[in-house]
Amino acid sequence: MKKTGIIREFDLKRKEIKILYYLVYLVVLILVLIALTPIIWTILSGFKTLSEFVNEPSFLPKNFDYEKYIQTWRVLKFGRYYLNSFYVIIGSVIFAVIGNGLLAYSLSKVRPKGWSVVYSLVLWSLMVPNTIGLVPLFMNINRLGLQGTFVPLWLAFGANAFYVVLYKNFFDSIPQSLIEAARIDGANELNIFFRIVFPLSMPINTVITIFAINGAWSDFLLPYLVLNNTGKETVMVRLFQFRTSVATPVDIIRAVVFSLIPPIILFAFFQKYIMEGATHTGIHG
Amino acid sequence: MKRNIVGWLIMLPTLILFSFYVWEPLIESIILSFFNAQGMRLKEFVGLANYKFIFNHPDFKSAFLNTFSYTFWSLIIGFLVPIIMAILINELIRFKGFSRVSLYLPSVIPGLAVALMWTFIYKPSETGLLNIILGKFGISPQPWLTNPKWTIPLIVIMMTWRSAGATMLIYLAGLQNINPELYEASVIDGANILHRIRYITIPQIYNLARSLLVLQIIAVFQVLYEPLVMTNGGPNNASLSLMQLMYRYAFERFDYPKAASVSVFIGLMLVLITVLYNTFVKEKDM
Repeated sequence: MKKTGIIREFDLKRKEIKILYYLVYLVVLILVLIALTPIIWTILSGFKTLSEFVNEPSFLPKNFDYEKYIQTWRVLKFGRYYLNSFYVIIGSVIFAVIGNGLLAYSLSKVRPKGWSVVYSLVLWSLMVPNTIGLVPLFMNINRLGLQGTFVPLWLAFGANAFYVVLYKNFFDSIPQSLIEAARIDGANELNIFFRIVFPLSMPINTVITIFAINGAWSDFLLPYLVLNNTGKETVMVRLFQFRTSVATPVDIIRAVVFSLIPPIILFAFFQKYIMEGATHTGIHG
Repeated sequence: MKRNIVGWLIMLPTLILFSFYVWEPLIESIILSFFNAQGMRLKEFVGLANYKFIFNHPDFKSAFLNTFSYTFWSLIIGFLVPIIMAILINELIRFKGFSRVSLYLPSVIPGLAVALMWTFIYKPSETGLLNIILGKFGISPQPWLTNPKWTIPLIVIMMTWRSAGATMLIYLAGLQNINPELYEASVIDGANILHRIRYITIPQIYNLARSLLVLQIIAVFQVLYEPLVMTNGGPNNASLSLMQLMYRYAFERFDYPKAASVSVFIGLMLVLITVLYNTFVKEKDM
């Protein structure tokens, strides 16, 4: 039974519309192939030897010997970069949740004098392209001596206008009476946030956590400027360095596979949240 | 009274972070562009000298025209694709969920990984994916990115591949908000499929498409790491974007004031685009 779309159940009785409807399926199938083929081909190419990859125009590798992947992982010391990325992610998530959560809590539930000015500024930051301030930001990080540490990358996630908006919308839906009752019982604001509001906000905390994990994993420009040549490079920074390195094409393609497996696994588990979030964010990346 | 103080205290740490990462760099960028500097130390006020220098440099003209070229191609290639995708997916009875997830999957992959992936897809030898596929149809290998005429459209195709799925989800949400009774009523009035698209579907997502168009222009205008990773602005500056010019001044020549001037120029262009859009829309709506 067809309930959505332009073609209605009633139209499908007509032969030419039925053909058109099969065409719709065909075009979607082609689109799905276009979306998936590059990813699948990249993963398959990782199973090729160097001479196979450079000389043979084939889609499939000769054999599926995953030893090659393990070899590349060892040669490029990928474990270290994974660990660095992991450190960056942990701090980013903590700051993303606590920093933006506290600001949003104050904007939503405490509302001190002048809160709306702050909120307008935050909304306005959504519109401002952040790359425009990149140069002074980089200089300030240097002046504070934070070059080569994870700190500036962690803190960056504590100031995300989009996360503030998501948090504030969620907190607005928590009844004010609950907060007032806690205040009458003499709880202070930080206690209310951590003991009452935070546990009630697990759905939004999950969303922000997933976003921050994905963001921290994929981000490369600031991490590159801060961590390049310090031995603390994240996976993405390492990938970027391959532009000017002597690594073989098959090593690079396997490194690309290492960099896209975690986001795909995350997506497999939290598909609902991620697609829900994408619907509300508009264009990202 | 006490609540005001407590409320501000709670906001303070995050506000400091916002100042450090967002607000202060923006203002400092403007200030920096009027000074000259030695490394990271500002020296003296030089008025518009930095701007004069960047505008007179031959790279600027290429970067400026290329940035418009990126934007133009992204409107040609990237704007309609997500709309068509959403309309088609919305028609499906079976495999709807699977198709949505598959088309969104490219958006999950980090942009940098996508750029490297597509470097191999566009490889000019016969072992690049595109040339493998063409080879199956008996077409000889093409030079792809190394042909300066094709570089920008090919990079835009890659950007579209990555972002179309995410934009499609937004349109899909818009299409699902269309009341099915509108279609049912039009069927009774004898409207055929084309009529329905023309008089119901398009008007219903028109506003959404208009705002996404502006967001897309603003996003593409700042294209940086695709040319940086795939072509390094080449061949012969054919894909150099304004943002990459900023990157070169800052992180290859360490001339921070000139980099800031390019940033401010990009910012002004974006403000101009937004203002033009707003006046244009207001006139139309009145």
